Amino acid sequence: MNAQEAISTGYGGAAKLNYLTNGTTLKSWLLTKDHKRIAIMYLVTVSAFFLMGGLYAATIRLELLTPASDLVESGTYNKVFTQHGILMIFFFLIPSIPAILGNFLIPIMIGAKDLALPRVNLISLYIYWLGGGLTLFALMQGGVDTGWTFYAPYSTTFSNSFVMLVGLGIFINGFSSILTGLNFIVTIHTMRAPGMTWFRLPLFVWAHYAVSLVMVLGTPVVAITILLLAIERVGHVGIFDPTIGGDPILFQHLFWFYSHPAVYIMILPGMGVISELISNFSRKKIFGYEFIAFSSIAIAVFGFLVWGHHMFVSGQSIYAGMVFSFLTMVVAVPSAIKMFNWTATMYKGSISYDTPMLYAIGFMGLFLIGGLTGLFLGAIGLTVHLTDTYFVVAHFHYVMVGGQVIAYLGGIHYWWPKMTGKMYSEFWGKISAMLVFVGFNLTFFPQFILGYQGMPRRYASYPEEFQVLNIFSTAGASVLGIGLLMPAVYLMHSLFFGKAAGDNPYMHPGLEWRTSSPPPTENFEVMPVVTWEAYEFGEESGMDLEAAKQREAVTA
Amino acid sequence: MSSHYSDKFVYHEPGLQHQFDDMGQQEESVSIGMWFFLVQEIMFFGGLFTAYLVFRSKYPMAFAAGSNHLDAFWGGLNTLVLIVSSLTMALTVYYAQKGNRNMQVILIVLTMIFGATFLGVKAIEYTDKYNHGLIPVAGLNKKVKAEAGAEHSAAEKPCWEVDHNAPPVEHPNPHGEFIWTDCSLAKMALDENILTASEKNQYLVRDENNKPVIDANKFRDKVRIFFFLYFVMTGLHALHMIVGLGLMTWLLWSAFKYKYNGDYYMPVEMSGLYWHFVDIVWIFLFPLLYLLGRHFIHGG
Amino acid sequence: MSIVKYLLVFGLLVFGTIATYVAATVDMDRFFVGANTLVALFIAFTKMTFVMLFFMHVYWSKRLIWLAAVASFFWLAIMFAYTMQDYLTRGSGVFSS
Repeated sequence: MNAQEAISTGYGGAAKLNYLTNGTTLKSWLLTKDHKRIAIMYLVTVSAFFLMGGLYAATIRLELLTPASDLVESGTYNKVFTQHGILMIFFFLIPSIPAILGNFLIPIMIGAKDLALPRVNLISLYIYWLGGGLTLFALMQGGVDTGWTFYAPYSTTFSNSFVMLVGLGIFINGFSSILTGLNFIVTIHTMRAPGMTWFRLPLFVWAHYAVSLVMVLGTPVVAITILLLAIERVGHVGIFDPTIGGDPILFQHLFWFYSHPAVYIMILPGMGVISELISNFSRKKIFGYEFIAFSSIAIAVFGFLVWGHHMFVSGQSIYAGMVFSFLTMVVAVPSAIKMFNWTATMYKGSISYDTPMLYAIGFMGLFLIGGLTGLFLGAIGLTVHLTDTYFVVAHFHYVMVGGQVIAYLGGIHYWWPKMTGKMYSEFWGKISAMLVFVGFNLTFFPQFILGYQGMPRRYASYPEEFQVLNIFSTAGASVLGIGLLMPAVYLMHSLFFGKAAGDNPYMHPGLEWRTSSPPPTENFEVMPVVTWEAYEFGEESGMDLEAAKQREAVTA
Repeated sequence: MSSHYSDKFVYHEPGLQHQFDDMGQQEESVSIGMWFFLVQEIMFFGGLFTAYLVFRSKYPMAFAAGSNHLDAFWGGLNTLVLIVSSLTMALTVYYAQKGNRNMQVILIVLTMIFGATFLGVKAIEYTDKYNHGLIPVAGLNKKVKAEAGAEHSAAEKPCWEVDHNAPPVEHPNPHGEFIWTDCSLAKMALDENILTASEKNQYLVRDENNKPVIDANKFRDKVRIFFFLYFVMTGLHALHMIVGLGLMTWLLWSAFKYKYNGDYYMPVEMSGLYWHFVDIVWIFLFPLLYLLGRHFIHGG
Repeated sequence: MSIVKYLLVFGLLVFGTIATYVAATVDMDRFFVGANTLVALFIAFTKMTFVMLFFMHVYWSKRLIWLAAVASFFWLAIMFAYTMQDYLTRGSGVFSS
């Protein structure tokens, strides 16, 4: 056979084609059914939205350097923080890990050729582009100033901004989320390789199963809420209008019914990544596998019972407030179980401080602070003092950025060699991880103090006594920004100049490391039959420390 | 360009997608996928049912009044039409499994006819609302010019003396607004002291003698909430029905081409699931919207 | 399932529709407030159950499908119950006079 045939037939010789080289036309990418290509396209779009949301964040922090509202006026500032929230939450955080790492890794981790419904996956991507495009168009027309929470009656009656268009963009985007979740649920149920039982699944997969349940059950409710908002806005009559007997708090109930579980969409995948990172970089079987698996499901379920803790001072009844407050304390328990299990995993493990592990350790500290401050906010007495202050802002940035974004970065770095076949520079990786950690704390820790001292959120101007801490916060934001931009540089650099990664540069036992980097289109040369447990680092598996030391891991 | 891992010819059943090992896995996946899609559809409608629950428990008399002005005949007919279409749909799946193409085609056509009938009846109902000023959005109702001299007689009668069982009167409506003049049920509830606290708060004003009396405009606003929910819920349902008809068109074309038999009938089954779901939503909408206040007017 | 059984289920559904209409005209609220609504919902749930079990073939489906069907109603119940617990306890008491 000639060279061309040798390349295209896989059996009888090493497959030369991987998913990146198997088809190089634009059409083969845009019409692909390959989950890995879809993941890469999500990566590009999600990164673009992250950048845009970050630019809005920079504007916020620059404005808050001075007490007066001098960089932007209040009306514009309302649009800036609204759009920062919308882009970051709906178009960056919610898709991030599931659409990129989940899409790429779940079929490989369970030993399947693709997701169960590849065309649904592609439609999901198109819908994401459509929703994102519409929202961006609306932002360029003038944007929205209602806050990402779109509270009635401002959004229905009084706001003069492009509520309908942005609402439509978010509505459409919601279906992308629903279809991704649906796909994962089906795939995890039906596409597991022979021998891959539920309790041999990596915890990354369990976390994504839990997240998918939340996506499927919760997102439709925000969709109908936005629809009702739009009808009320167009028809000038509706159920959220108190002048005709409607109730604006009903909007909040329906909105937060989704948006609280949404924050679990914005942390559970991160926790899945962290389970992988902690266990693998401690070269130790994860402690309490079943507990972590079931706690993911518990968070998904209990997360639907606590939405009223966003509404303590809205006019909701005190009794309902008490119930939601109690349940908020309960929902913290599964997360705490995970933290204990991760810590116990690291104990007496052989920890290697590669970049992904630095991110994972950073997650542990930052999520701890974020989670605990969430409990402060859930306590119905204290929350009255802290509502709508910077304490809340600091809390959710600690869990969303310190949690999910850090986990996202850790995951991107960890699986970068698998996705691209290249090793990035560990040196620059470690530097940027530390810059992110330091910059993040410098940005958001002062905001806790600002919050309990009384600085309100969503204000462009503030009393002068708050300026010093705001300056610290903005300084930290600069460091954080640099730390977040650096990976873009060195990861891109690695694509062209990085060392080739082998199949398993870290010597980790996961199924994704038993295929080539980058993987072939159908993921495995020979579909695997699983006979080992998850996270097996024993001698029989060849993944113990001695074996790892003897084989030279390729690092840059 | 897919990579082949074997030189041996591998038999692929027609309709088997490349990511699956066998038809059983494909059928199972498609079934779970469709069911979870229906789960999210249930939650989608669920938000509307929540809103309905909140406002019905707050303003039961306004909801009863509005509901009584819906024509239960058309609503009931639509319910029966949908049930028949569910039967024909279930039988379509039955015949698809048997590979009987002619019966499949006949039954899909019947299902579509019944579906279209449902939409036709909805059009009749909506037109009726348009004619009587019952669309909650101002300007979307039929504009009826006021006749000279006729304005006063309509305004003088207090709203609680309107005969609840009388056929609707055409009121002058120059701007196409929402018109509601009948608060007799609220008066009855006020007299029998069965108004809820929210209702007392929202329907009543004090007259010159400081007695609580029903304010026609405030009552009308609550009835308007009922009609808002009526139109949104039935409208969203009708939209799903239209999508269902589109699905049926595609199914009809494929079934006509002999595509479905005992080995491959999942698309028919999945379309059936969607159709039955739309039927189930209507099974709940009918009593909740059309029948909630009948016992007030028919007595014991 | 045979055609006869499908027709039987159909008959039951038609009967349920007629029953719900008739029951709505009888004032059962004198027994307790909300009796009419309860009867209407009971009939609707029964009709839905028959459609789901027999027309949608849930009766012959895997347990996961049963779980999906039941769980979605459980989630609806969460949404209804926790929203109503706010409205019912606002001090003005929705059902009280």
